[in-house]
Amino acid sequence: MNKQQNRLMNVLVPVTALVLGVFVASLLIAMTEVSPFKAFGVLVSGAFGCSGKVWPLCITLGQSTPLIMTGLAAMFAFRAGIFCIAQESQYVFGAIVAAWLGVTLHWPSFLLVPFIMLCSMVVGALAAEIPAVLKVKLGVNEIISSIMINNIATLVLEYLVAFPLRADSGQKAQSAVLPQSLWLPQFIKGSRWGVSFVIALICVVVAYIVLWKTSYGYELRMAGQAPLFARYGGIDADQVVLNAMAVSGALAGLAGCMEVLGNYHRIMTGFSSGLGFDGLSVAMLGLSSPIGVFIVAILLAGIRQGAQLGLQINLKIPRELGGVLIALIILFISLQNIYTPLLKKFVSTSSLKE
Amino acid sequence: MGAFLSFFTWNLLSSSIRLTTPILLAALAAALCNKAGVLNLAIEGEMLLGAFVAIVVSYLVRKYTGMGRAHAVFATSVGVAASLGFGMLLGWFMASIHSRYHSDLVIFSIAFNMLSSEITVYIMRSVFHQNGTWTDPSLVQLPAIGEYNIIVYLSWILTVVLIIVFHKTVFGRHLKAVGEAPEAAASVGISVKRVHYVALIAGGMLACLGGAFLSVGHLILFTRDMSSGRGWLGNAAALFGFNNPGGTFLASLFFGFADAVALRLQNVTKIPPYIIQLMPYVLTLVILSVVSFRAKKKRSKNALY
Repeated sequence: MNKQQNRLMNVLVPVTALVLGVFVASLLIAMTEVSPFKAFGVLVSGAFGCSGKVWPLCITLGQSTPLIMTGLAAMFAFRAGIFCIAQESQYVFGAIVAAWLGVTLHWPSFLLVPFIMLCSMVVGALAAEIPAVLKVKLGVNEIISSIMINNIATLVLEYLVAFPLRADSGQKAQSAVLPQSLWLPQFIKGSRWGVSFVIALICVVVAYIVLWKTSYGYELRMAGQAPLFARYGGIDADQVVLNAMAVSGALAGLAGCMEVLGNYHRIMTGFSSGLGFDGLSVAMLGLSSPIGVFIVAILLAGIRQGAQLGLQINLKIPRELGGVLIALIILFISLQNIYTPLLKKFVSTSSLKE
Repeated sequence: MGAFLSFFTWNLLSSSIRLTTPILLAALAAALCNKAGVLNLAIEGEMLLGAFVAIVVSYLVRKYTGMGRAHAVFATSVGVAASLGFGMLLGWFMASIHSRYHSDLVIFSIAFNMLSSEITVYIMRSVFHQNGTWTDPSLVQLPAIGEYNIIVYLSWILTVVLIIVFHKTVFGRHLKAVGEAPEAAASVGISVKRVHYVALIAGGMLACLGGAFLSVGHLILFTRDMSSGRGWLGNAAALFGFNNPGGTFLASLFFGFADAVALRLQNVTKIPPYIIQLMPYVLTLVILSVVSFRAKKKRSKNALY
């Protein structure tokens, strides 16, 4: 296997997983007596179509914003060799801070918006340091501690919106709406696609430069891929892990903050609804590279959006099919050892012919 | 004092025992797998699918077979048996991708949990045309002995059985050996593969039994995300109980009690129940830190010699 073939394999595995996922999802669609071809056509037009009052494509881009951010967050953790799945909690804590500061502080908005973002990032980073410190200093399994922290974050959110931050005594537990001056503008009304997307795009570019063009990025990749080699080269791997986790948490915290400022303008119970896990999927499918994260985030947001807008509304197929498809794709990624021998054979025979 | 005493009624105790049962079954599954050295994070999803299979099969048997139409309890029993069989299948599948293909079980589990939570709702909506909750009036739950369901007693028996297996049998020794040092165990002729298969298959069955208790044990219904974190709580309880069945039992009982107190607080008082619901997670983090730190210190001490 030469380098080019290896690179081909890296792309071929997610594509195979996607094809297998689509195949199984088609069987599930066939169960409802709708033609799978028609269903996937509707799914794609519901996700990336350019028609109607608000283009589905714009909504998808808007939906992808938090996914890009949590995907980048997960990517930084993976790169440092930490399988941290606590993006959900960092996202929630960032959102809580944004909703709380936005209601309590009354500064001019050009000062307050950056301040809120900064605070959310700091809180997200602090939340990410909990599993990181536990892992580095005490050797606690980061997956288990992440799960505990995710549960804690959900309960803290439920408590805060039910009591101290609660806006009214109505049925729904939610915080007060932020003053309109703090809202991040949206390009097209009702699309959720706005300034936050631009910020996410900037984060992608910066992450790419940091990872591949700076010595910090080199140390990070080294500490994650070959910790012993990194240590031999004089890199303090523990410190690198702690730094990377802080960056990761700050990104996830900012994601939560931007969802509050740019989209919901308040927080409520069930605010996150599994976004952290979707970020994880994005990082895994995106091969832990910023560009890959960007593409996959839009793709996954499109699947969810197309399932909601296209399948459920037009064809009466439950929108959960979108989630099923995403889960199937990751499932087939995790089962890649079963089919990679076949792919490898295919790659080497096809290159022999040339 | 009077108010305090009236809060802790007999009712509270029995509801905590009921709430303990699914957590205990999940925790026993987690303890078994942890002891064998495989981190099984799919318990949450196994439980949810187990609950779904149990009620769907009960429904099908009740509706389409003569025996089922005549005896409602028979239909439910077949449902629970099917759920157990399904758990076995899931466990076998996980073991084979782990042992044969060396797949990453953590990534698999994350995808699997997500899949089970989405696909149950998808099937519920597309086949049974129900949005959030599905039930059928013709179904009955498993019979109860005295106050509790059969599965409650079964979970206690299983705890005792596992205590005996862990501490008094050859398999228990093998389990421990494989979990702590697989290479060493393999070098003396213990089949690491077999131990992993047994642990994951039994774990799947325990988790699905816990799921069946949720859907056809205490109540007869299925709701979206019915397991609602009980599988994770089971993982926590196993670690909290040092992966020993006895300790795991006590930890689960404590978590179930915390759940019951939180429920009762919600019903009778205005005190927010969240602090009590937070306790299991915070305590697990603390215990884990202490245990891991001690293990790390021991390792570095041994490294000196």
